[in-house]
Amino acid sequence: MNVSRRKFLAGTAAVTTAATAAVVATPHDGDAASGPPPSRRVDAREKVTGDLRYASDRLLPGTAHAVYAVATIGKGRLLEVNTKAAEAAPGVRLVLTRVDVKPPGFLQGGGHAFQSLQPLTSDRIAYRGQHIALVVADSLHAATEAAALITARYEAEPIAVEIDAPGAQKVRQSDVLPTAHDVVAGNAPSAFAAAPVKIDHEYESPQSHPVPMELIASVVQWDGDDLTIYEGTQNASAVQNGLALQLGISPERIEVLSPSVGGAFGQKNSLQTHLAPVAVAARRLGRPIKVVVPRTQTFHNASFRPASHHRIRLGADRSGRMLAAMHDVDQQTSRHDYFPAVYTELTSRLYGITNYGSQQNLVRTDVQTPGFMRAPYESPGTFAFESAVDELSYALGKDPVALRLANDTAVDPISGHPFSSRYLADTLRRGSRKFGWSERSAAPGSMRGRDGSLIGWGVAAGAYKAATAPATARLRLIPAGRTYHATIWVDGHEMGQGIRSAVARLVAEDLQLRLEHIEVGVGDTRGVPPQHLTAGSWGTATALPAVYAALKELRKKLGLGAKGPVPSGRGETIVLARSRAPGQPEAIHDRAAQGLPAGAGPEYPEFTAFSFVSHFVEVRVEPTTRRIRVPRVVSTVDCGKVASPRTAESQVRGGVIWGIGAALRERSEVDERFGGFANPTLEEYVVPVNADIGRIDVGLIDKPDFNLNPVGVKGLGEVVMVGVAAAVANAVFHATGRRVRHLPIRLEDVL
Amino acid sequence: MKPFAYTRAESVAGAITALGSPGAQLLAGGTTMYDLMKLRIETPETLVDIQGLKALNYVDHSRPDMLVLGAGARMSDVADNAFVKKNFPAISESLWRAASQQLRNMATLGGNLLQRTRCSYFRGGEPFPCNKREPGSGCAALEGLDRGHALFGGSTSCIATYPGDLAISLLAFDAVIEVAGPKGRRTVPLAQLHVEPGDTPQIEHVLSDDEIIVEIRVPRTPSGRGSTYLKIRDRESYAFALVSAATGLTLARDGSVEDCRIALGGVGTRPIRATAAERSLIGKKVTAATARAAGEIAFAGAKPGHHNAFRIELGIRAVADALQTAKTRAS
Ligand SMILES: Cc1cc2nc3c(=O)[nH]c(=O)nc-3n(C[C@H](O)[C@H](O)[C@H](O)COP(=O)(O)OP(=O)(O)OC[C@H]3O[C@@H](n4cnc5c(N)ncnc54)[C@H](O)[C@@H]3O)c2cc1C
Ligand code: SF4
Repeated sequence: MNVSRRKFLAGTAAVTTAATAAVVATPHDGDAASGPPPSRRVDAREKVTGDLRYASDRLLPGTAHAVYAVATIGKGRLLEVNTKAAEAAPGVRLVLTRVDVKPPGFLQGGGHAFQSLQPLTSDRIAYRGQHIALVVADSLHAATEAAALITARYEAEPIAVEIDAPGAQKVRQSDVLPTAHDVVAGNAPSAFAAAPVKIDHEYESPQSHPVPMELIASVVQWDGDDLTIYEGTQNASAVQNGLALQLGISPERIEVLSPSVGGAFGQKNSLQTHLAPVAVAARRLGRPIKVVVPRTQTFHNASFRPASHHRIRLGADRSGRMLAAMHDVDQQTSRHDYFPAVYTELTSRLYGITNYGSQQNLVRTDVQTPGFMRAPYESPGTFAFESAVDELSYALGKDPVALRLANDTAVDPISGHPFSSRYLADTLRRGSRKFGWSERSAAPGSMRGRDGSLIGWGVAAGAYKAATAPATARLRLIPAGRTYHATIWVDGHEMGQGIRSAVARLVAEDLQLRLEHIEVGVGDTRGVPPQHLTAGSWGTATALPAVYAALKELRKKLGLGAKGPVPSGRGETIVLARSRAPGQPEAIHDRAAQGLPAGAGPEYPEFTAFSFVSHFVEVRVEPTTRRIRVPRVVSTVDCGKVASPRTAESQVRGGVIWGIGAALRERSEVDERFGGFANPTLEEYVVPVNADIGRIDVGLIDKPDFNLNPVGVKGLGEVVMVGVAAAVANAVFHATGRRVRHLPIRLEDVL
Repeated sequence: MKPFAYTRAESVAGAITALGSPGAQLLAGGTTMYDLMKLRIETPETLVDIQGLKALNYVDHSRPDMLVLGAGARMSDVADNAFVKKNFPAISESLWRAASQQLRNMATLGGNLLQRTRCSYFRGGEPFPCNKREPGSGCAALEGLDRGHALFGGSTSCIATYPGDLAISLLAFDAVIEVAGPKGRRTVPLAQLHVEPGDTPQIEHVLSDDEIIVEIRVPRTPSGRGSTYLKIRDRESYAFALVSAATGLTLARDGSVEDCRIALGGVGTRPIRATAAERSLIGKKVTAATARAAGEIAFAGAKPGHHNAFRIELGIRAVADALQTAKTRAS
């Protein structure tokens, strides 16, 4: 086993420092020492009391503060940056307009960063809001003030920002990304042509931004040739390895600490381009530097959900059997990177449709490179597909739940392999019972509330690939009085989804320890290397198998049986274990160690694996002013075994709220005359507030999937929002008779 | 934020004196002021802080003819005041539906009246031309994203919406403000406080730099009890109005309208009083048809831009709905 990281084998990785912030549960709850441990969020107390430390909460002595100035044109060439006034401003220590660092490489193109373009390395301006200068000063105020004094001269070029703007360049994905092929099965065109009932419509999802509460931020500190980065990231290894390449130093010299992330949603899945210039500046100044990218800048200097247009064609026979589906997509990307479009991976498997065709195109526009925002393909893809299925149900005069059940499948129609587990039908049946679906009258506009509001009931199904990545776990058991204290380091990042809680619970259950005797270290390259990307809903299904393997290893080492507590009197024991996805070669660990994406799924050698969900949504549309409200949602999820019920339920609620946001609120606005995004604040980028959210009833099927891994877990965090927007749109149609085929659905669409 | 001097006023007179220095501006709750300073839109040399002036922080309902509100009263206090809730529900609601609880706890009535537009080109700074921020630079909104811009009172220089809610309900009830300045005190009808942009969109109201709003007076009327403030926005809370309507009614025994108040928010470059629509209902009963007709009259002169025409129909319906609520309360 090649475990080369220096501090790792020393066995003294600093889990006890505040920096690692391995969260220790408090003693006043979680008492049971046998039976399933209580389900709770192990860092709940720290969260609600404000004790939990995020990366930018770290205030090191002598810290200087950095603020970027940004480009004000939509595209072109930078002729001159005038930094004189900024340099002369009080408190300013350094102003950089150019840095000598290597390109970071695009995550989806063999690199580590959200995009290939590194600001401050050339005179190219690719989008408005691009960083053009870095100001470092003694205080945040001084840096902010000085950054505002920077002016620039440009040579502007014409731009096209939106997917349908003149000048946006459409390319066929398979021409430019040889590995991204279109999903095809059977003969969709002829089966569609022959189908007696047809649906053929276009659906649009807008560009949107994830706006996590925690801004993108880093604290950067050099100690001689060693560099420590404190940054809320989902991918400490990419930050470590990518930054090392950019700076031309060994990754061994860099440690990345991301103990808790205040929301990431895909935006923090890679190396950010604000970081390298700050590392250069910190070295030059010989001081730690803290940089917090302001909200407005995160709209332009970090990834977002690209706009996508979908054409869905569905053909069915009169009994409701779906005979053919075609899903064509145009998806926005940047000029400098091809962010792949992978919408059909899911829509080809949602039902047992044997004739499936697709063509996915990329549309090059003048933006930073878009990326993975929670349920990146699946949310827009199912908005289109599940709206079309709803349209089909009306065309057939069939109940939309019955139609979906009639087209369920146990076999992946694309690969011919079985699903590792598939309880979509169960989610639909259970959800419809809970919701009271049988009371629905099918005709649009036929249900009214006491106040005259139009009631609409809509349903949609969803799925998300059950991905898995390689992971390493290191478990240390030390005697603590009559019991033991366990510390577990594992590949993974805590973005609030609850990975610590799930890991702690598994260890507690296995070793019959109380939760407060378990520490979980994640998101820290000093714990176990690598700290591979936690994304794509694979976090739990990746970490838990490694933890499980470590627990088995521990039992073996201690000569214990498969069950039961550790008898007293054992000394300190340390074990190491690794796990990877079914079919992945051993060498995949090396790829992960380089900070490169190493996930697998949904297709595994012997099966196809997805998590599944159904959403039942009630909307009420005001009779006159037509405000759309969502008083209740019933969501039922098949995510395999539920590893941590409390945090799982929160994930479902959070995902449903995101879906409501996508359906009714969120859109990043563009003014083509200026480029960039025009509503880059939490005031103008409208996300749901508490008052927008009604009752969300969560159901978990909780059937373990032992084909996928020995713990039986599949992913949860992404699948929960898949289909919500379609269910809302279908409910709006049922309420009003208006079929809105674009998101978000706003007042003007239903007036 | 540009460096600035800060002084805390001990009295209204002291504040007026302090405002005499060049570039001095008032600071009340700071929820607009600090915000615009961070955006470098407001760049005061000196901030004269009147937050702590107890003399401006009161609600006085002892007078039979007037409700008197201190300009320094907090939005949340007035929203929650039992007398206001009972006698002027529209005023209470216009405050409740504004901003967030945290902001309302800080923000004052005087500051609320003088808050500035939320036009994103105005707030966004470079590269957007904006005559209000930089006179003569042009108006990015005229040919741009104008979904939230004004339907009434715009000019070829500016179509920015007046965003406040309180002024709308106050306007419906003929409020006047009392202003203190170096030359003494004067009263200004709320209807005359804000001005249309014309060629000088940087000028938003008739007060001079060294004047302070000290008091708001609202004549008591039975229509105050039969009133409501309906605000339609892009989400259920914490958003500015796409359109809002303050309505108040006094009904005769037979249900016919004796007095009617209609003011519109979120649609004008300043608060709009819909007097013709008010008159259309006098002597009539409020029915679905007459309420709708009043809404149509209220929006008769609306001039839509590129993306905001839907707010005319929305506004008509909002006025009609608000009249129905007022009718229920007035009955
Ligand atoms: C996120 C957000 C959402 C908001 N949503 C809403 C909303 O939905 N509806 C709404 O109506 N408002 C809304 N607001 C605006 C908010 O209500 C105002 O910012 C607030 O009322 C201003 O009061 P203040 O005391 O904080 O004023 P300050 O910020 O202190 O001052 C505002 C202006 O008024 C001047 N001023 C203050 N007091 C006086 C006085 N006595 N005499 C003369 N001039 C004075 C100041 O010089 C300054 O120019 C929102 C604000 C924010 C930040
Ligand atoms: S509408 Fe007024 S505030 Fe907005 S950009 Fe135009 S001039 Fe500026």
